[in-house]
Amino acid sequence: MESNRSFLVQLQILTKRMVFRVIRRPLAELPNLIISAFFLFVYDGALGGVFGGAASGTPFDFAKGNFVNFILPVSIVSASLSGAASGIYLVEDIESGVFKRYQSMPISRWAIILAPMNVGAFRVLVQSSLILGIGKFIGADPAVGNIGFLIVLSLAFIWGMGFAGYSVAAGVKSGSSQGAQAATFLFFPAIFLAPTFVPREALKGWLETAAAYNPTTYVIESMRSVMVDGWELEVLFRGYLSAGIFAAITLTFAVISARKATEKA
Amino acid sequence: MLAVDVKNIKKTFISKKDTVEAVKDVSFQVKQGEIFGLLGPNGAGKSTTILMLTTLLSITEGNASILGIDVATKDKEVREKIGVALQDTGIDNLLTGRELFFTTCRLWGYSKKDSEVRTNELLNLVGLIEAADRRVKTYSGGMKRRLDLGLSLVHSPEVLFLDEPTTGLDPGSRRVLWDEIKRLRDNGVTVILTTQYLEEADELADRIAIINEGLVVAEGTSDELKASIGGDVITFAFDSDDDLENAKNILSNTVQEKNELRLTVEDGASKIPGYLKDLTGQGVEVSSVSANKPTLDDVFLEVTGYRLEGSEESPTPDEESDR
Repeated sequence: MESNRSFLVQLQILTKRMVFRVIRRPLAELPNLIISAFFLFVYDGALGGVFGGAASGTPFDFAKGNFVNFILPVSIVSASLSGAASGIYLVEDIESGVFKRYQSMPISRWAIILAPMNVGAFRVLVQSSLILGIGKFIGADPAVGNIGFLIVLSLAFIWGMGFAGYSVAAGVKSGSSQGAQAATFLFFPAIFLAPTFVPREALKGWLETAAAYNPTTYVIESMRSVMVDGWELEVLFRGYLSAGIFAAITLTFAVISARKATEKA
Repeated sequence: MLAVDVKNIKKTFISKKDTVEAVKDVSFQVKQGEIFGLLGPNGAGKSTTILMLTTLLSITEGNASILGIDVATKDKEVREKIGVALQDTGIDNLLTGRELFFTTCRLWGYSKKDSEVRTNELLNLVGLIEAADRRVKTYSGGMKRRLDLGLSLVHSPEVLFLDEPTTGLDPGSRRVLWDEIKRLRDNGVTVILTTQYLEEADELADRIAIINEGLVVAEGTSDELKASIGGDVITFAFDSDDDLENAKNILSNTVQEKNELRLTVEDGASKIPGYLKDLTGQGVEVSSVSANKPTLDDVFLEVTGYRLEGSEESPTPDEESDR
């Protein structure tokens, strides 16, 4: 009997196994989803009255009458951080020795590493889609039409994969699931040092500077452009570029870290 | 062809702080269809040796081959031939036994249909068919070990590596696992196992290598090792340290352990009166004396100078299994 030589089949089998793990721990999936939905409801409830329709005709009309459109990208960026679970899944396998079991078999090392990232990507798509669904239910209506939802979802996916790469690198480096979990605290500066509640022009001083260097800013602005303003290709391009560069950097780190982890000592 | 051929392998771990020679010089050969035991205390280098042979660690120096395939240069080919159940290879507790077997079968290249058949075969083989659809986290330690063994057998390996397969098991579970390992050997599988239990090595292994501080210090069948000591082991026990020290000066070639002196001689029982006469004649009070055939424990003491820690306390299968 020879091992299954097809990399894709190995990846599929290992991904399926990881999906079983996720399904069997449903409570572990809820916090990030709840936080993201919470952001949407609370921010819309607290600020929608001021910056929604009531701001029409005033200098604060940056939501153009629909604050859900404006704030939805913040919840989506939050939901996309669910990709960070990839690192936790991988490190759990390392800690439990499952990783070593697979290493002792003649199967691709990359299939072992990519499987949790696949599941992370799936998690991003599911959670982001659910938040988009909630957003639509409470009144989100993209300025570019329903294709805007797809654009937001694609940006969330790339951004989420960036966080997946980051968490895998941090997890493998720290060698513990707590390390991978702790690394997700990057979430706070990423989301709050950005034009979360008001446009970037309304930010002041150090926060304005921090936001300019924060790639999350461009992802949120890009999402907002299709939700609030309509087609603004330059803004859209900056969003994809920021998310793409972030994902490329973190995934490269993930690959380097994972390669070191799988090398024979 | 030899199943395993290990020649002077070494493993050195180098870090910024220090250099550790985990395996200094280990050589042994294992014939096909044999159970070969690596016996030694924690930290002796047994697991490191196994990790090198199973391609999970690089070999610093020396050569090793499995079924004639070089471990260092043809690791993928080696992995095709071997089954591995290590101390720290994990089992996914969230999956059921059936799912774990099925997933492993699929990874080894079985079709879905064949995987189902093989899964049932293996579940029966390791006695887990009734627990097959329960999540592994509900399994007992013994059930997990049998599952682990079963997972290492999915592809019918020719050579099986088991690293301390019964550590932590109750005597009943240990006996079940021993029987399964013997049955595998009887079916032609070569088994290399590490253990720190003397009775496990004695009961299971066709041949034994005693590893201590990264070196093979003795090798042979259990009987050969015991015979290598020569004769019987006479054990003198003393109540006072003074008596013990005086006795050491009177008797030659003794090995001390706590308040006892051990002496290996031919026809021990007949020589006890003479030794007692010598000791009591010089005022040494002996609290007890006995003569026994050597055990692996005696062999270990002889070649390393100390007892295998915990070996006396390790439960034997003959004890009650509900412990």
